[in-house]
Amino acid sequence: MRVRQRAVTWSLGLTAVLAVAVTLSAGIGPVRIPPATVVKILLNAVSLPAGIELTPLSVAGALQLPLPTLQWQSAVAYPVDQTAETIVMRVRLPRILLAATVGFALAAAGTVMQGFFRNPMADPSIIGVSSGAAVGAVAAIVVPAAIPFGLGLRGAAFLGAVITAFVVYLIATEGGRTPVATLLLAGVAIQAFLGAVIAALQLYSGEGLRAVVHWLMGHLGNAGWDDVTITLLIVPVLFGVLLAYARDLNVLLLGEEAAAGLGVEVERTKRLLLAVSAVLTAAAVAVSGVIGFVGLIVPHMLRLVVGPDHRVLLPAAALGGASFLVITDTVARAGATEIPVGIVTAALGAPFFLYLLRSREVHAL
Amino acid sequence: MSDPPLVVDDVSVTLGGREVVSNVSLTADRGELVGLIGPNGAGKTTLLRAIRGGVPTTAGEIAVTGQSVSSLSARAIGRRVATVPQETELSFGFSVEQAVAMGRHAHIGRFGTPDETDREAVADALARTSLESLVDRPVTDLSGGERQRVLLARALAQATPVLLLDEPTASLDINHAIRTLETIRSVVDDGTAAVAAIHDLDLAARYCDRLILLADGDVVAAGDPDTVLTSETLADAFDATAVVSQDAVTDTPRVTALPDESASTSDEA
Repeated sequence: MRVRQRAVTWSLGLTAVLAVAVTLSAGIGPVRIPPATVVKILLNAVSLPAGIELTPLSVAGALQLPLPTLQWQSAVAYPVDQTAETIVMRVRLPRILLAATVGFALAAAGTVMQGFFRNPMADPSIIGVSSGAAVGAVAAIVVPAAIPFGLGLRGAAFLGAVITAFVVYLIATEGGRTPVATLLLAGVAIQAFLGAVIAALQLYSGEGLRAVVHWLMGHLGNAGWDDVTITLLIVPVLFGVLLAYARDLNVLLLGEEAAAGLGVEVERTKRLLLAVSAVLTAAAVAVSGVIGFVGLIVPHMLRLVVGPDHRVLLPAAALGGASFLVITDTVARAGATEIPVGIVTAALGAPFFLYLLRSREVHAL
Repeated sequence: MSDPPLVVDDVSVTLGGREVVSNVSLTADRGELVGLIGPNGAGKTTLLRAIRGGVPTTAGEIAVTGQSVSSLSARAIGRRVATVPQETELSFGFSVEQAVAMGRHAHIGRFGTPDETDREAVADALARTSLESLVDRPVTDLSGGERQRVLLARALAQATPVLLLDEPTASLDINHAIRTLETIRSVVDDGTAAVAAIHDLDLAARYCDRLILLADGDVVAAGDPDTVLTSETLADAFDATAVVSQDAVTDTPRVTALPDESASTSDEA
């Protein structure tokens, strides 16, 4: 089968899995809602453009210009229980969609980082993005006065992540070249340093300690439509850029010397992949805290299933990561008391990954 | 008649403060296989890297199909020059066909997908290297000789006017070495200009149209294998005593290296 066909087939299949996961997840919680009702609620929420209406717009008092505006209208209106509709639309769906977007972003960035570093241990936070976000977030909790421009927790986390990635890149770059081994070590060193900063901030956090620990463990609760909208605006665009470089990523796996010989602008491609993955990860971490494991294990799971070609692997891993985080977050909130989703991702993901590792003929990465 | 596809004019390369290649000139015409020979560290690999724009030159000019390499993008070079590396990372379980298809990278646009030309080039490269029966095998499962063939096929799939080979037979047994060189020879005879760094002097003499003997970055001798491979030039370049005779079977020069103390007897041979 041609590559494009394989990519489309896997993407459609995994999108279907994601749709099922979202529907089932929206029904699970203190109030059980049957999947059929969830589907009706979701369909009710879908608006379609019903037509274009011209509204007069006054210009300079006298002149009136017709301004076209799209008229939106619900496509269907199933009669459903109002309480159920509120629970799904206001409480559960934002959280589920945020889980899907964060999982999508982390798994995509993890796939790219593993290919980029040619290292199976690489994950989205390898160049210090998560540590930087954590410093920003923890600082915003412990010493809110230190955060400039009224950025808030999320802004501080995002900024911390992007700045850290950039610093690591600058440290590892000399004469326009960024050797991946240097980048890896610089990332590890900066992570260790920022770990110390986070520990020190925690020590003096006083009453904020609970909030700090909560943030550091990763969380998707309290998600609102604002978070969903922002991440949904950022993530698909960045993912599109990564997807356009999927073939370059394949060639980079051969080593930089060989990749250059095959016509890849190596340093420029590396810079772009690094920057896009860092911002993608930063966007995810800023809204959800540090959720480990998704960006490390999901790419490996999908690589075992669909193979190493990034044109197929990248969309498959991203969609797989979305489903994975939706499912694990549902487990995390399904019990009597909610557990941090990071604990669930590791507790569920590790055994499943080990099962895949043993049950298939595994080639080196 | 147009210029040869590859013209290296008075090129020097400095790496880490040391001049590794000094004022080297060479050309390779269509249908010509030029052999780079010389001791380890003579600058063969560095010269090949300079030709494909992998290291900057400190002096001189390298032109590929009439255009200066320093002015071309990596992608443009990738469509003009293919390299068979000494060894490469072939991990990540790509299939043989996928690995060879990567040779087409420079020919496919960022948002494009392989077209009929690309598929034909890959099929042709697989056929020339007798890899058709292995197309679906993961490259990680291959033997050393098969991996070398994959690297050659990848370069052939690039379908470039200039082909560079860095020790294409270094890790091969004699049977595979001959088969590889026969393949290279047939590709060159079809109109490619090729430069190959080759350790084995006998094989170099047998398959190359011209030889360039490098030592310490300098050209010691250049020309027909018969004129380049002499006891004097080899003594100069390799600092070793060697006898050059004519091979009875292939009728090409044959080099027999001797221990130093037998120098006097070799003079009579």
